[in-house]
Order: sequence, then C-alpha cells, then structure tokens
Amino acid sequence: MKPIIRKALKSSLAESLATPLSVDHYLGLIDSKLSVDEPRGRIAEATRQTPDSVTLTIEPNDNWTRPAPGQHILFGIDLDGVRHRRCFSIAGAPDENSLEITVKRNGDGAVSNFLVDNVEPGQLVYLTHAEGEFYPNASPPARALLLSAGSGITPMMSILRAWIAADELPDVVFMHYARTSADMIYEDALDRLADEQPSLELVKRFTSADGRISADTLDAAVPDLDERMTWLCGPAGFMDSVQPLLDARTTKPVFREQFESSRREAAHGEGEVHFVQSDVAASGDDGSLLEIAEQAGLNPPYGCRMGICHSCKCRVTEGTVRNLRSNEVQDIRDTDIQLCIHAAAGDVAIEL
Amino acid sequence: MGRPTHLTDADVEQLGAELDALREEVMNSLGKEDARYIYRVLNTQRFSELAGRALLFAGILPPAWLAGTALLSVSKILENMEIGHNAMHGQWDWMQDPALDSATYDWDNTCPGREWKHSHNYMHHTYTNIVGMDRDVGYSILRMSEDQKWHPAFLAQPLYVLVLAAFFQWGVALHDLEWERLGKDKSYAEALSQGRDIWKKVRKQVLKDYVLFPALAGPMAPFVFTGNMAANFNRNVWSFLIIFCGHFTEQAEMFRIEETESETQGEWYLRQMLASSNVNGSVPFHVMTGHLGYQIEHHLFPDMPSNRYREIGPKVQAICERYNLNYNTGPFSRQLGGVAKRILRMALPHRRKRRGPMPSSIHHKQPARA
Repeated sequence: MKPIIRKALKSSLAESLATPLSVDHYLGLIDSKLSVDEPRGRIAEATRQTPDSVTLTIEPNDNWTRPAPGQHILFGIDLDGVRHRRCFSIAGAPDENSLEITVKRNGDGAVSNFLVDNVEPGQLVYLTHAEGEFYPNASPPARALLLSAGSGITPMMSILRAWIAADELPDVVFMHYARTSADMIYEDALDRLADEQPSLELVKRFTSADGRISADTLDAAVPDLDERMTWLCGPAGFMDSVQPLLDARTTKPVFREQFESSRREAAHGEGEVHFVQSDVAASGDDGSLLEIAEQAGLNPPYGCRMGICHSCKCRVTEGTVRNLRSNEVQDIRDTDIQLCIHAAAGDVAIEL
Repeated sequence: MGRPTHLTDADVEQLGAELDALREEVMNSLGKEDARYIYRVLNTQRFSELAGRALLFAGILPPAWLAGTALLSVSKILENMEIGHNAMHGQWDWMQDPALDSATYDWDNTCPGREWKHSHNYMHHTYTNIVGMDRDVGYSILRMSEDQKWHPAFLAQPLYVLVLAAFFQWGVALHDLEWERLGKDKSYAEALSQGRDIWKKVRKQVLKDYVLFPALAGPMAPFVFTGNMAANFNRNVWSFLIIFCGHFTEQAEMFRIEETESETQGEWYLRQMLASSNVNGSVPFHVMTGHLGYQIEHHLFPDMPSNRYREIGPKVQAICERYNLNYNTGPFSRQLGGVAKRILRMALPHRRKRRGPMPSSIHHKQPARA
C-alpha cells in the first residue's frame, strides 16, 4: 500500500465514512491480507524438515514491523471456520522481510497437527507484532551458551542468525537436545553454520542414544559455563531439570523462554479463579464463574444468567474452563467467554 | 407458569430435553460451511453498499438513483438483520473472528449495539411477551395485549404505528431509555448517561448518511441525501414488519408476570414457542429477514447461527405437533393481516382481562401424545 493511500485510509474521514464498521472490512473485498494497521500475511513456503514439524515462511503485509531476536508472535489461522491463535517463536533473523516460524507437532493440538500435516502455501494468517524479552541485550556478550530442546530451538535460531547477520557472532556453544537426528529441526542449517563460523561450537545430543541432560554431560560440553550468558528454551521438564544445574554453575544471567504454562489442573475439575484487575482470588470449586465473581464481591455486568444474552462476556487471560451447557473442557488464552455458563476446570485468570 | 393444561410437568420437562438435544446436535456440527455462509453474506452486503453508494453519486439519472437506493437498502437490511442482529446475539462467536464478535460488534443503526443488547438480548429474549417486562410488547407506545390497561390515546394507535414503522430505528434507539420508569425506579442521571451514548452513535450515523456522503458527491448531494434517506426508510419499514410478524400475530400468546414465576427451562422453551410466530418464504426472503421468518427457532436458540434455523424448522414443527402445540406459521400476508388486526383490536377498549388458563389450552383439548 502506498503511504499516501494508507494515510487517506487511516484518516478520520475514512473512519467516519465506514462507521460503524472499519476501513479494513471494506479492504477485505479486494484482498483479505490488506489492512490499515493489522499485520497479516500469507504462507509463502511450507518445508517439512522432520516428520513432525513444519517450517513456514510467511510474507507479511507492510504493517509488519521487524522483530527483535528471540521474540514471538500470536499466530492466527482459520480452521473449519474457527480462528485459532497460538504463540510461536520467530526463527528467522530479524532483518529478513519475510517471517519464519517452525511448528512441531504437539500431542493432539489442532493447530500444530493441521500445520504439520496439511498447511499449504497461499493460506492467509493473522499476525500480531512481535513481543518478548528473551533477548533483552542490545549487543552480544563475549561468550554465550544457547541451550535448547525440541522446538525450543526456534528462538535460538533467531538469536544466532541475528548475530551472524550483524557480523557480531560471539564465542557460542549451541547445545541442543532432540530425540534422534531425524527429529532435529534445523540440523542441516546448523551443521552448515558450524562449518562456516569458527566461533560457533555445535553440540548435538540425541536422547535416544545419549540420554537426557545431566551434570556430567553439561560439564563436559561447556566447561567454562560460568563465563557464559545462557539462553534456555525447551519443554517444561527440560527447563526444570536444567535450571538447578545452571544455578550451581554460573552467576551470569540466564534468560528463559517457556510457552507451556505450568498451570495446575485440578483432579475434579476445580481450580483457583484469579480476577486480575481487582486482584482478588477465589476458589473455583462451586458455581459458574459469574457466581464466583459475585461471591468474591465483584460486580460484573450480567443479564439473563442462562447463556443467551452475552451481557457477561469477559476476557479470560489464561485458564481452563468447563462449558456448563456442553460440559466441554477447554484451555483458553486471551479469549472472551460468557461467565454465566462457564465454570473453572483448573486455574483461571479473568480480566475483571 | 400458566401453560396449556394438556401438558404435565413431565411432558414439559421432556419437551425441554428434546429441544436441548436438538440444540446440542446443531452446535456440535458448526464448521467450515457455516463460516463460508456468513462470509458470503458479509461480502454481499459490502459489495452492495459500495455499488449502491457509487450509483447514488450518479443519482441525477433516475435509473441510477433507483438502483443505488435499492442496493443500499439491501445492504442496510442485510447488515441490520442477518449480520448485526445475529452477531450481537453471539451466533458467530464460536468463529473467534473479531469482525463478528458479539462483545464488540456495532451495527449500522442509530441504536448503539450495547444498549440494544440490553433491551433486546436480555429484556426481550428472557422475558418474551411478558407484559410489563418485555418492552418490545408495544414499544411502550402501543397497546398489544389485553393485559395492558386501555387509555383513549390508544384509539390513535393505527396512525402512530405507521410513524413508528417509518422511524423504527429511532424508536429502537430511544427504547432502552425506558422513559416511563424515570423518576420512579430509574434515575435521571442513569438515563442521561445512556442518552449521551445514544447521542454519540446517532451523531456518527447522521454525519455519515446525511452530511459526509452527500458532501463528497458535490453537486449530486441532493440525490445522495435522498437516496440515503430512502434506504434508511426502507430498512426501517422492513425490519418493523418482520419484527411485528414475529410476536404480535393474532395467535401469538401474551403472558402475565405471575404466570412465569419460577419458570423451569422447559417452561421457558414453551413460552418462547407460544410467544413467537414464523413467516413462510423462500431462502432469499429468510436471508433478508435475518432468518427471523424462523422467529420460533430463533427464540428457542437465540445464539444458534441463523443459517441453521432453516434446517431445524421442520424438526421443531414436528416436536410441536407431537406435543399438540400450536406452531404459529403462515405466509407473510396472513401473518401481517394478523398483526394489523391485533393493532386495531387493541386500539379499542377490551371487555375484560384474560383470566385462567392460556388461550392455547383452549385450542388444544387432546392430551399430549409424547
């Protein structure tokens, strides 16, 4: 979009002519990727590096701003009529025009399974501007350890590629855990980089042969750990077992990135309800979320109390809820729900 | 609640369970086809709006003015009825598309979406046809039920119903102010803050249709202005007709508050069925009514995507037949005739208030076969 056109479309005149809809609603008639300010994109390439992952190259519209190394986005895609949103780390270097993410199959996750099995170039995706403080440093440290497992490799790739692109690659040990060589995402790319860059030392560990991370393997691979800043990313179990090893060996900063939440899931479908804005916590054992809010002394808007009027719709930051009509249990994040027909089925954080 | 005497508590409970099962079945099958349907409606509405407004810029030519006004009318009707009304009911929330989110959607109408969700989604849909609770009964200016006290002013209601039809969106916008409660259980301060929200919305709507688009058209301004006015008029009259056919036909039941105390879910369903009336028609007709030709289905399941009402209509009708209940439906002309009759009849003082069981129990003497 030419800057002058964008300026005209963002003007208050254009907004007044489109009211109560937005200019984007009309731009969608030309191309659904067009928007005056929302970053959206189309999938340009889908490459399967391993049997259970897919690397997507996305061509964003020009609302996309370049991310910092190690940042992530909320990625939205329509599947069977429903827009799903998931967080993914950006794997590409920040100065590339396109955007690269790699998605690993995640149990029975609807989005990851669809992307790994069926996604094709051309599909429209909804993006957010990149967020995250995994790499807060303006300049690289003298020595670094990038320690990852599974799909935790993706933000590492972004940091590594950013250093190389800026010609500022420090002395790096890149240590990665995968189940087997066939399961390792970015293995070829990393092998190539390790050949080209003398200051990059690549340590590949395959748990099916080498076992999980231990004090001995860490000491052997990174003897000068106490001189390195560390970036750590991987599944929750991996992170939990690495943290004490690092604590015992270094006082230098350790940066962590973790997407799997450590949320408690109660056995009988209860949990704790946290009302974020009023900073009140309540037990979610009895009643609908609306009743729990009221018992906690809050005063959320409501109407019919039977799920038909949508007056009590409220945003859940994160949590597990049970729909009282269908009994369906759902993990949700940044989603609006009707409080009167949902109960807690685990911990829930509500923006109230 | 007061209900047809041929139904026992167990009958009503079973009726509720059957309807719950029907709802479950449809809601579990929502998917790609439904999304395709609503996106097609959205595109049609936006194309017809753009084309209509473009043609009105050439409005000095009578065919362009007529076609432009027609397309803009279609766009406004689709937007209010099939898109706005239904999105604000939460019918498309399952898609998680912010453009169709009931929490944020606002329609092309002088009534702010938030106000409307209170007076319509909550008051009207929860307390359907309960005199004194559902303010859609007469929109606080008409007498539509024997249970409303007669006053000589109602003699003129056949006249002012025409004014309401022509300015329907304005009636709807002012509806939730509930002026008759002012100074009683509603404070002036509350009404004032509501009034400010309504004014904000009204200003934007008026600016768009009656100032900005005409101004952009320069010398063509009068044609754009009149075209926009005609389109708003057409949409007003059309939505008025459909809405009145949905609840105020001759056979539509009215309820008293004491009949509906401690109502069960099954009794609530039953009241929705008896209070609503359908209009028969073709698929394009139903799309243009926002599927409110299936008012009964809509009142049973207000948050079910509207395109599914066509599919469940026959099933709901079969359930009604099995329980020996009136499934109020008919062609547009007949339903409209019934509405006119009710408006005229209620303009006159009625001999006495209805007492005892509901009229439908008089129509149906046989026991339920369920």
